[in-house]
Amino acid sequence: MTGERPLALVLIEMTLLVLLGPLVTGTIQKLKARLQCRQGAGILQPYHDLTKLLRKGTVQADTTSGFFRSIPVLVLAATVAAGALVPVVRAGPPAFPLGDAVMLLGLLALARFLTAVGALDAGGAFGGMGASREMTIAPLVEPVLMMVVFSIAVAAGTTELGALAARRGTSWILAWRAADFLGFAAILVLLPAETGRIPVDNPDTHLELTMLHEGMLLEHSGPGLGCMMLASHTRQIVTLGLVSALFFPVGLADGAGATGLLLGAGAFAAKILVLATYLALVESSYAKLRFFRVPQYLGIGFVCALTALALRIL
Amino acid sequence: MAALYGAGALSSLLARWSGRLALGVGHLAALAGAVVGLGVSLGVLLGDPGRTLIQPLPDLFPFARLSLSVDGLSAYFLLVISLVAVAAAIYGPAYLQAHAPDMRPARQAAQVLALNAFLGCMALVCCAGDALTFLLSWEGMTLASYVLVVSDDQDGENARAGLLYMVMTHAGTVLLLVAFLALTERAGAFDFAALRAAAGDLDGTTRTTLFFLALGGFATKAGVVPLHVWLPRAHPAAPSHISALMSGVMLKVAIYGILRFAFDLLAPVAGPLPSSWGWTVLFVGTTSAVLGVLYALQQHDLKRLLAFHSVENIGIILIGVGLAMILWRREGAGGALTTVALTAALLHTVNHAAFKGLLFLGAGSVLCRTHVRNMEELGGLARRMPWTAGLFLLGAVAISALPPLNGFVSEWLTFQALLGGASRFHGPAGLVIVFSAAMLALTGGLAAACFAKAFGVTFLGRPRTPHAEHATEAPPSMIAGMVWLGAVCVALGVAPGYAMRLLDAPTVALLHGPEASAVVTARGPLVLSMGLTASGTDATAISMTMVAALLIALTAIAWILRRGLRRAPPRTAPTWTCGMSPTARFDYTATAFAKPLRLVFAALYRPRRVVTQETAGTPYVVQRIHYAGEVVDLSETQIYHRVEWGISALSQAIRARSTGRIHGYIAFVLGALFVALLLFGVGQR
Repeated sequence: MTGERPLALVLIEMTLLVLLGPLVTGTIQKLKARLQCRQGAGILQPYHDLTKLLRKGTVQADTTSGFFRSIPVLVLAATVAAGALVPVVRAGPPAFPLGDAVMLLGLLALARFLTAVGALDAGGAFGGMGASREMTIAPLVEPVLMMVVFSIAVAAGTTELGALAARRGTSWILAWRAADFLGFAAILVLLPAETGRIPVDNPDTHLELTMLHEGMLLEHSGPGLGCMMLASHTRQIVTLGLVSALFFPVGLADGAGATGLLLGAGAFAAKILVLATYLALVESSYAKLRFFRVPQYLGIGFVCALTALALRIL
Repeated sequence: MAALYGAGALSSLLARWSGRLALGVGHLAALAGAVVGLGVSLGVLLGDPGRTLIQPLPDLFPFARLSLSVDGLSAYFLLVISLVAVAAAIYGPAYLQAHAPDMRPARQAAQVLALNAFLGCMALVCCAGDALTFLLSWEGMTLASYVLVVSDDQDGENARAGLLYMVMTHAGTVLLLVAFLALTERAGAFDFAALRAAAGDLDGTTRTTLFFLALGGFATKAGVVPLHVWLPRAHPAAPSHISALMSGVMLKVAIYGILRFAFDLLAPVAGPLPSSWGWTVLFVGTTSAVLGVLYALQQHDLKRLLAFHSVENIGIILIGVGLAMILWRREGAGGALTTVALTAALLHTVNHAAFKGLLFLGAGSVLCRTHVRNMEELGGLARRMPWTAGLFLLGAVAISALPPLNGFVSEWLTFQALLGGASRFHGPAGLVIVFSAAMLALTGGLAAACFAKAFGVTFLGRPRTPHAEHATEAPPSMIAGMVWLGAVCVALGVAPGYAMRLLDAPTVALLHGPEASAVVTARGPLVLSMGLTASGTDATAISMTMVAALLIALTAIAWILRRGLRRAPPRTAPTWTCGMSPTARFDYTATAFAKPLRLVFAALYRPRRVVTQETAGTPYVVQRIHYAGEVVDLSETQIYHRVEWGISALSQAIRARSTGRIHGYIAFVLGALFVALLLFGVGQR
């Protein structure tokens, strides 16, 4: 059992996640472009987009209520707060408890709920459509994700991610059991859904037939849209961080030593890069599923997660 | 306290002179009663955990001594009742004035009388010290709420709802009567202490039979699937503050009954509870939670939607109760996990009372300003009723089990208890528990979808009808009632550790194990912690307070970011609707919002859909399309309609035999007597 992470480190890790979020998106876009034999934009493009949006003015729909302006703020805050719960460079519970994996999923769900509420505010059909679809997929993804978390938590005896990573720190992929493989398979199925990518959602298009998440952002503009974009970048890296904390806690530093922390940061970058490559590969090699096929696709994840849990408990 | 409620009831007599006066005085008395109730319950809860307050009542009947006894469990439920009663009493007068200004004084008198009787009886049920007081106040509670359900009758719909309610709950009361009378006959007395002693030497089968009788009776009142059919009809029919009380509190009185029977009256002297009890409760809890929220999703009547959510939340509470029953006295080391499971259930009880009360009051404000319950005819209310909208959103976040509000806390505890239970029970039992946890996660997600719909369609977008367009903010006293419950939601969400202290007395009274606060807040009141395995006591720890603080800090930072680098005031422009001029018909409707989920869960919904087209001559020119769709409650069609069919078939058969001649009837009576003598006379010898 390793020591506890001081609160300052937790906050630094959280800031790191927020700052690196757009980079992951940029990397995925670049990888996708290369896989599709295009040159593609530079990997820093999301940062340029964000700064551009922050410099712009705001146009707001005339039917919106007072909530609309605060939606991007609250969504961003909830997503970033979820980022504080992921161990990035060092294992072990935070010195003062914050939240566990259930709380993390709860905060992400809060962000999603508020986004959907904001989408309904402008009173356009696109927003409603996006919100309706997103809120259909979300209740199907969440229980499966929760089951994967439970399958790990039952083995580790805690749902706190830092402590969980610390307890499983020694187990590298050789020590994996069937339950881990199945849980990981479930995560691989869920990852595109949770990060809003093909085959569930398509982040590149604003076509009403295909979009889920983008549809909900249509009425936001300027800095508000910037906040929403930053929130979705953060959400992506937080989800990837959750997966690496659950399945690949290897490399996380044990103590406060500088080399350990640097090594942890390097390991984290490597893990995120691998998962990002996976997402880019999936996005380039599959078509988007028809919306009503998505539940069947998620069903594969459900079966894997249920089997993983069963193996862990029986 | 009873005296104050009585005074409130008497004040209805004032209505002879003035209806408004009666309303004012009656609600004031109810408020005073609720405050006294709060005081009494807090006094017991914060005092010595083992203490029981006993107050003998005057002897009304020669054969039974009546008494009140307030132990930890009673006091806790009294607290829940009083919390919501305060809000309802503040909210009530203005609501009744605004909703039905031309109500006759006699009706107002009936309202006040029934409200006070309802509150008083609920308090008495929880404080009853003997079976007779319990049953009498139970019946009083049912009758008073029936009066309230039918009091707002305009089109006969409410009378039908009230009738169904009466029939269902009385069927439940019969089961309770049988359970109680079987016990009192053995004990030869009515007070709970004698019953407890008499239950001590029951054999296993009788004990289990009695428990299931009581469970059936209480589950009918609690609205557990499939006994819930009365609930979505009766709750919306009552005035909104009464709906808040019925949904938020009356269902909890049934939970109190289940807890009292399972852990106190019928519990075996040593050893765990029979395993069938806990598993049954866990199963019906999970079923209710999932089916309740699924049916809620497809409702477009705001209050009916909330009523179905009560079915869901009762399910969540029963998951905790069932788990506690399974675990009780089964594990060593003080039974910490049992305490966590029961704590989760009790905490969800007060949480649900707070947010469901808040939501019903919010729906009531909408109703009294627009006179419309169908959310397809609302919309755009957030600009017209900002306070109501904000408080409704608060309640929506809380009921969807999203942090940082109170719904999340109790669901987190339930999750932890379920996980802990699963890692204790290996094999199929563990798998069932984990499956129940997955269903709980599904429930949370669906509830969020449902409230995104309910809030979005009702309060956001454009007003769809003139009713919604001309709505104005509710009067201040109604908002005050909602603010009170909203504050309870926030306080229980942000600082739940302090509320754990209140749960000490009920957990100790029921389980005789460790105190709730000693288990869950072992690391100080700001941290909730527990261990999944028997060895680690605080392996998992969260701090709602810290997360809330973090959220506030991040919101402040994000707000700066939101203001942007260019300080230009926002321009407004019409919503882009592909070049057409936007109207309210572009807004997404509730039916459309819930459609994907209706298709995904079509097997459970069995949706019906009729589309008729009117064409002008050729099939290519459509003049008008008529769409009708509905989702039926499976338990209604599969169970109740069959029962109904069976009963009518039986009555038809009997009718064929009723010739109308007296000789035939006398022959029937004689035959029945003969058969009865044959059956029971043989048994006697």
